[in-house]
Order: sequence, then structure tokens, then C-alpha cells
Amino acid sequence: MSSWISWTNMLSWWQWTILAAVPPAIVLLYFLKLKRQPRVVPSTYLWRRTVEDLHVNSIWQRLRRNLLLFLQLLLVGLAMLALLGPSWLDNRLIEDRLIFLIDNSASMSAVDADPTRLEKAKEQAGEIIRRMHGDDVAMVIAFNDAAQVVQQFTNDRRELLRRLETIRPSTRTTSLAEALRVAGGLANPARSADNSNPNDRQIADAMPAALYIFSDGQFASVQGFSLGNLEPNYRPIGDARTNNTAIAAFETRRSDRLDDRLQAFARVEHYSTEPRVVDASLYLNDASEPIDVKRLQLPAIDDEGRPGVVGVEFTLREFTEGVLRVQIDGGDALALDDRAWAVVNRPRRGKVLVVTPGNPWLELGFQTPDAALIAEVEVVGPAAAASDAYLKKMSEGAYDLVVYDRTPPSVNDDPLDSLHKMPQANTLMFGAAPPVGWGFQELATDPAVIDSDRVHPLTQGLELGGLRFFEANPLQTPQGAASLIDADVGSLLAIGPREGFEDAVAGFAFAIERDGSVLVNTNWPTKVSFPLFIHNVLGYLGGGRQALESLSVQPGRPIVLRSDSSAETLQVRDPAGDATEVRRSSSGGYIYSGAEQLGVYELLEGGEVRQRFAVNLFSSPESNIRVQAEPVIDIGYTKVVGDRREEQTKVQGWKWLVVAALAVLLFEWYVYNRRVYL
Amino acid sequence: MSTTQEPLLSPQLMAQLERLELVTRKVFRGRLKGERRSKRKGQSVEFADFRNYVAGDDLRQIDWNLYARLDKLFLKLFLEEEDLHFYALIDDSRSMDFGEPTKLTYAKQLAAALGFVGLIRTDRVKIDRLSSTLRDRGRPWRGRSSAWRMLKQIEEIEPTDEVSLAEGVKNFCLRNPSQGVVVLITDLFDKEGYEHALRYLLSRQMDVYVIQVLSEEELRPQLVGDLKLIDSEDDDVAEVTISAPMLKRYEATLAAFVEGAKSYCARRGMAHLLADASTPVEHLVLNYLRSRGLVR
Repeated sequence: MSSWISWTNMLSWWQWTILAAVPPAIVLLYFLKLKRQPRVVPSTYLWRRTVEDLHVNSIWQRLRRNLLLFLQLLLVGLAMLALLGPSWLDNRLIEDRLIFLIDNSASMSAVDADPTRLEKAKEQAGEIIRRMHGDDVAMVIAFNDAAQVVQQFTNDRRELLRRLETIRPSTRTTSLAEALRVAGGLANPARSADNSNPNDRQIADAMPAALYIFSDGQFASVQGFSLGNLEPNYRPIGDARTNNTAIAAFETRRSDRLDDRLQAFARVEHYSTEPRVVDASLYLNDASEPIDVKRLQLPAIDDEGRPGVVGVEFTLREFTEGVLRVQIDGGDALALDDRAWAVVNRPRRGKVLVVTPGNPWLELGFQTPDAALIAEVEVVGPAAAASDAYLKKMSEGAYDLVVYDRTPPSVNDDPLDSLHKMPQANTLMFGAAPPVGWGFQELATDPAVIDSDRVHPLTQGLELGGLRFFEANPLQTPQGAASLIDADVGSLLAIGPREGFEDAVAGFAFAIERDGSVLVNTNWPTKVSFPLFIHNVLGYLGGGRQALESLSVQPGRPIVLRSDSSAETLQVRDPAGDATEVRRSSSGGYIYSGAEQLGVYELLEGGEVRQRFAVNLFSSPESNIRVQAEPVIDIGYTKVVGDRREEQTKVQGWKWLVVAALAVLLFEWYVYNRRVYL
Repeated sequence: MSTTQEPLLSPQLMAQLERLELVTRKVFRGRLKGERRSKRKGQSVEFADFRNYVAGDDLRQIDWNLYARLDKLFLKLFLEEEDLHFYALIDDSRSMDFGEPTKLTYAKQLAAALGFVGLIRTDRVKIDRLSSTLRDRGRPWRGRSSAWRMLKQIEEIEPTDEVSLAEGVKNFCLRNPSQGVVVLITDLFDKEGYEHALRYLLSRQMDVYVIQVLSEEELRPQLVGDLKLIDSEDDDVAEVTISAPMLKRYEATLAAFVEGAKSYCARRGMAHLLADASTPVEHLVLNYLRSRGLVR
């Protein structure tokens, strides 16, 4: 209860004057009344002997024993106090439906609150729960990038507190949107019935609810959400002055020649108004001593609030596979982003099937020694590719990439025919197109290449100046496709998605047939960009990328693992040592969605490690744990200002005084009638 | 004021009283021949003693068996049967005029019942009042035929002012020198105390029964509030504020007073009985007094 009471005078001065005369009048009447009632008794002999020790003739004794006088004075006193209208501010709740959204994302593990931000949030939520009244109901939702209903609406405060305690910190990023959708859906169930049908039962009306959001605010604004009957209250957790230094990225890359040299790149971000010097240490596997240490000078946040960023590079020689861990000095509020892992798996060569009636340039490009290092290429003719054996292999995902050279895939519309479908693999087609969504426009002669996508992995680093085609068909591309090489007549090379795979289609062939002769259609094989293109194809579409780069995902995200194994199930072991079974998907990969811990995971077959991947936070919003000085979150068109203060309501005290006065009146009646005296 | 609306003794009670008789724990010397033992030796059937024959004694009283054995002449003496003197001394002070029925009414009924028993047994019954002076000798009653006159005398007793217990008892003793059974019916509420009064009775060697009559309002007062209690006899004032502890204390004081009187009487061979004026008189006489030995 607040420490001060305010008074509201309900009477005028003359009314108070009259009222103030009441207590002395009561006392005066009592004194007059104390002119005792005479009563004739047979004899005062015994009464004198009875009272001789009690000194009842003392006035104070009379008053002390006069309960009725005291009760009447008390009654008048309470009435006068009530008329003064006392009230005070109290931290009591006025809402009767509450929804608690508790942020348990990675940033809530920061220790700038005692003991952590998440524990602080739970503590504040618990205080509100304890102030609930008997019929109030509340719901608890924990959210990070997903929302989890911890406790449905209930008025059982003990259960609410118990369930609140079960909320554990996560390593995930933050998204308030889904939590709001869950809260809104449970609090304001939409009418799904037909209003025009009188026999159709309606769902309960939406009822107002107070929404308490406990978070450090490290999430984007929520667009397109209407709060409806939700009354938001944002309780920011954390300190605006908290500093943090984080490893925002950590990658490894082999040299293009796949020799035993490995480069490891780390990006360190510094969220602080003061610069800092840290040491970045690189560890190999489970070694306790670093193999390399680099000292970094981290600048402070700039004027626009961007963090100080420093990159660091490590070079390892004679390194084929293993786990690398980079670590910076701790001591800041969030330890989750002070370490990062990168795994280097034994290079797995992609499996590529080239279907061509004969293309020496293509075959040469796919069968270079460099290509052989990252992909296993098989070249077959169209007839063989149309055989059941190859169709079966393609349908089972035995290949990462199928290259169709002037040969369209063998596909029909029969839904029962599982063989004659697009292969369960990425495709690259020259002079052919997938049967659905793609098409060729009118043949164009001598199209001029005007642009290429230099960012896309297929065409990055390609210099296509001087590239000529005798003829080519501009492409009709499906929705979602991206053009990679543009000519004056249209797109000559594009890539589009297809059910988890990608199809890259070229509107030209390397050779064309004219009058029975095979003519060269393009000078591309003579360009430097051609083998680079082939290399990009093998790396991006052919599955060879895993041989070059390390696998890393953020916590909570699913990852598709590919293995040479054809087993139906494999096992994934997490950093804690617990193994989970994963099934082979229809696309041939193994999808794992239990990556909640930070660290290195292992894909096991028969107890042997086939592959590893790392789970790292790598989230600038999560690492930037500095709470805004004036925290505000945007929910739809509503700005919700954070308020750390407890809401206080004014409690009118006069009601309690009136109740007390009535109780005194009842007791006085009881005393008078029952002749009960103290 | 107390007025006796109903007869003091109902016919049914009279019928029951006819079967009773007064009992005394002592042997007194009455004047007339009654149904009592007397210390005087006379001509009755109950042997008392022997003495030597002297010339002139009644030869019919010579015990010839003794002469045959001792060869001497002895006279056989017998106890003379005499009547009992019964006194009912009624406290007619103002303090007796309280209660419903009043203590005075109760006392009169009690005196009438005991007196009636005495009259049936041809005892000598005298009804007296504390307010009587030395000159008010009163007259005794004897025999059944005197019952109505005795009752009439009792009915005419009214509460009187300035009655002192000790003075009244003293006057009674002076007016009535004969020994006998005296039943003092009073509330003992005399500010000078009861000890003097009872000592007067003791000096007469009477068989004393003190029946202390208290009303319901004295035994269990239902007073409330702030009161000025006025004594009905001397207008003494006591201001009290009634409370539960006060009432408890009063009850304790009353119990101590009654116990004190009982103890005083017991030590001196007097009987003390506490009578609740709300208890029917017949119950008191037929049960309580019988158990205490005043009637049988």
C-alpha cells in the first residue's frame, strides 16, 4: 500500500461544525445519564460490601467500564473519518483478464538484471499474479521466435506461479508477432459461425484483457496486427547502459583448390559507448589451449547507433576436417554470443548426372580434375537416362544435380507413375525446359548479352563480356524465378524453385543441328567464365558446396542434412550428448529441427560420425542487448510505451470506514440488548 | 405493600401438615400436660428414677420388687409429659417487603404452617414480630380450635419501619421467658449484624432455628446499568455500575455472608436454613424442614 493517504472533504465548514459537536454531546449526555437511576433494594448491606474495593464512584472508572459510550464515540469517529474521504494509491489490479507474454529469447539470458533478465521478468509477472483477485483469470505465454502457451486461462494463482517457473531461457531470436497472434486468438476468439443461421451456435464474445509484455524489446515492430480488446502493457526488462560484445559471424572456407589450407573468418560486433580491446582465440576440436589468438580493437557505437565491427581472419594449414571454436574475452552481460563454432566436414562430393546426346564442351567442363574434387559426375545418353534404372535413381534422390543437354526430362501426367517425374534433384537444362511453368519464346538470332547477376552463386564472378550465341530462345519463367543472364531479347539463363529444389534453365544450347550437321552455337566454352560457371554449378546446384563451406544454423531453425548414406534413419547427437533419430525425407535429405543448444551437432550412422554442423546465435538484434532509454514497441498502429513503474490505482477508503461503523453499530446493539459487558 | 390475597395455608397443605409434628432437639419444661417429655418428674408411664421412701409419699409408687430384693422402700419416679412452647419470630422490617411473593408473605406462610403443626399437636404456639415492643405481649395459641385466630393474627402483620434485629430479638426474649423452640424467620440483613440477636436467643437456651429468607432479586439480581441503590430501611445510598464482574462479585459476597451465618449458627448449636422465597412453602416445610429435623 502506498505510504501516503489523501483526503477529500465532503462537507462544508458549518456541516463539520455541527458534526464536531456530536462527540462532546454524546459524552455530555452520558454524564447526565450518569445521574444514576435510583433503585430501591431491600438492603444495600451486601452491595456496599461488594463495591467497597472497586471505587466505583471514580469518574474514570465509570467511563472505563462504560462500553456503550465508547462504542458510540467510535461510531461517530468512524463516520467522521469516512466523511473526510480518505483514499490512497495502491498497486492493485483493476483488470480481471490478464495475459502474460514472457520473452525467453537469447537476449533475456543477459545478467544485467538479478539474476537474469528472464528471471526478473518472471519475478515481475509473479508479483502481478499474486495481486490477482479471486475471480480474475490469467494466461501465460512464453515467446522467442515461436510462441508457447505455458498456461491457459485459469484463476488458480498457485498453478499460474508454478507454470511460470517452468519457463526456461532459450537460445532463439525474438519475434513478438506470433506471440501476439496466439494471445489474440485465445483472448478474442473469432466468430466462425454463420450469423444468418439462427441454429448455428456462436462462439463466445471477445472480452477485454490486459496484455503484459515482459521483454527487453530486441525485436522488430509487429506489422499488420490489431490489438482489438487487448490492452497492452509493456514492461521493459534490462538496462539501457548494458554493453555487449558478440561474435556475429564465423565461417570457414577452403581455398578454391581444396588444398589443405583453411581460412576462418569471424566478425565481432561491439555494442557499447566505449571502445574495447578483446582477444579472439581460436580452438581446434576440444583443445583447452588456443591455436591462435588475435587482439582486436573494437570501436564504440557510432552516432547512428551502429555497433563497432571488426573482422578477424585465421589461416589453418594441413587441416582437413574438425571443429573450430572462436572465443572472445567474456565479462559482458550476455555470454551466449561470446563463442561460435564452425565445423569442417570431410569434403563430400556432389553427385551429378549429365544427360547429353554428346557435348564435348559440357563433358569436358564437368570432368576436369577440379570438378572431380567436388563432384562425382556421370555422363549418360538420353536413352539411358530414360531407362527405369536411371529414372528410379533420379526419383530416389540419388543425384544432387541432373544436367539435361538438349534432352528434356522424361515426365508424364500420370499421377500413379512415380518414375516419369521431375528428378528429386536440382536440374540444369540447356536447350530444354521443365514441363511445368517454363517455356521458350520465339527463337532469336545473335542475342546480345547485356547483363548478368553477379551476386547469385551460379553467376558470381563471371565476366560475360564477348559471350555470343548464334541463336537462343528467351525464356518464359515461372513465378519466383530469377534471371541470371539477360540479353536484349530476354532472359537467357534463369533459375527457379521447385519443391525444395531449383531448376536452372538456359535458353540456348552449346550446339545446334542444322541440315544434319552439328554446329557450335556459342563461344562460351572458349571463355574463362565457362569453367568458372561449371564450378559454380557444381558448388551451388551439385551439392559440392558442403565440401567448401561449413554448415551453421541459428537455434530453432531446421536444417537439411545430406549424406551419402541411403539409410532410412540416422541419428543426430546434440552438444549435450543426447541423440535424436531423423528420417530420410522424400527429397533425400535428413531434416533435423531440434537445434536448440549452441554448439556442434553430429550426424551419426551406425555410431559413426558422418557429418557435423554448428548452431550459433549470430543475431545482431539479440546481441544488441542495450534496452532503449525510452522503450517503445510498435504493435500495428499502436505505440506501446514501456513503463517500469507499477500501476497504481486510487483506493477509496471511506467504504471500509462505513463498513467498520456499521459493524460497531451492530456490536453496540448486541451489547445493549444482551447486556453483555466487558 | 404486601397484602395477602390468598389464604396463608391452603386446605391441601393443612391436610398435609396435620400429619406432622414439631421436633425439638432439647427437652424443655412445659407448663401443661402435652405430648412432650419434660424434665419435671411426674405421674406418667415413662420411668425416670428411684428415691428413698419418706413418710407421706404415695404408697402406690413404691417399687415392691426392689423392696423384696433390698428390703428397703424406694419410690419409682416417672417423667411428667408436658406441652412444647413454639415461637415463630417474624422479621417484619421493610427489607422483608421485597420479592414476588414478598419475603414477609413467605415468612408469614412459613410461620403459619409451623404454628398450625404445633396447634394440631396441642403445643403452645406463639407468633411474634420483631417490631413488637415489650408491652406487646401477645397471646399464645393452643389447640386446633385456635388455628383460625392464629392465622388471622399472622395475616395482619405488615412491614414496619425502624425494626432492629437485635432489639427485636431482645424484646422477644424479655417478653417470653419460657424456653422452647424459636424459629426466627428473617433475611439477616441488619447493618448492625445478626450476632447480637442470636446471642440473645442462645442465652435463653432456646432450640433456635434461623430461617434466612431471601428473594429472587437478592439471590440472582437482574440489575443493569448505572444505578443508585437506595436501602428500603434506612435510605442509605450505594452507587453502582452493574457489570458482569460486579454481579459475580455480589454473588460471591452473598455466598460468603450466608456461609458466615451458617457457620456462626452451627458453632453455637443453632440450625440455619436458607430459604428461597420463590420456593413453595409446602416444599420447604414438607421436605426441607423435615430433612433438617424441625418437623417429622
